[in-house]
Amino acid sequence: MRGYIMDMISITRDVIDTGAMIEAAKRPGMGALVTFCGVVRDDDGVERIELEAYEDVAVRELETIRDEAMREFPIESVDIIHRIGSLRVGETILLVIVGAGHRKEAFAASEHIIDRLKQTVPIWKKEFGRDGDRWVPGDYGKTSGPAQ
Amino acid sequence: MKIRVKAFARFREILGSDLPIEFPDGAVMATILAALRGRAGDEGDAIFDGAGRLRTHVILMRNGRRVKRDELDTLVLADGDEVAIFPPVAGG
Repeated sequence: MRGYIMDMISITRDVIDTGAMIEAAKRPGMGALVTFCGVVRDDDGVERIELEAYEDVAVRELETIRDEAMREFPIESVDIIHRIGSLRVGETILLVIVGAGHRKEAFAASEHIIDRLKQTVPIWKKEFGRDGDRWVPGDYGKTSGPAQ
Repeated sequence: MKIRVKAFARFREILGSDLPIEFPDGAVMATILAALRGRAGDEGDAIFDGAGRLRTHVILMRNGRRVKRDELDTLVLADGDEVAIFPPVAGG
């Protein structure tokens, strides 16, 4: 058993309550909580997006990314919530909260987590706008997709 | 035996989302891919190249584990296995 309370890792269809998540992530030893919010952007007339996930594998990959970050950075907690379903411009797609004693490691871990997530977690998005719809191209690199 | 094939994103639109497909016992991954190629028809270009081989960026999993390209002809599937096929990921 580790010394911290179990982090939140989830894929959800519900609206993400960022404020409540940050409050819930706080622990007495933390002096810094770095949060990353990914939001639906109006790119050339995009009105909404639809996200889908290979859920079992996506949750497992998120857990792997959290475990990696906990090993590699001196941080206290990692929470990751990724939304799926239909989202409008301005809605939160992704929330990553990293809690640490100090800000530097929390910023570094946060960036690492988001970069890994975009490479390996099986989630896809389709944009819907004035000019029709299109799948957002994924990461075609050699390390793309779930590691195992 | 029955294999459950899950396709995602653009591949889901081409192949369908969650298909139980019947195969003879002893079927290998390449057998499943041949069936999917038939199912995809003209739209299969997104998944297979001109020679019918899986395009390099296509990701294939069996029961939640990555399947390597050199296993396609040797990996024997079992009744109830779940095969997933999808394009590069684009979350976040």
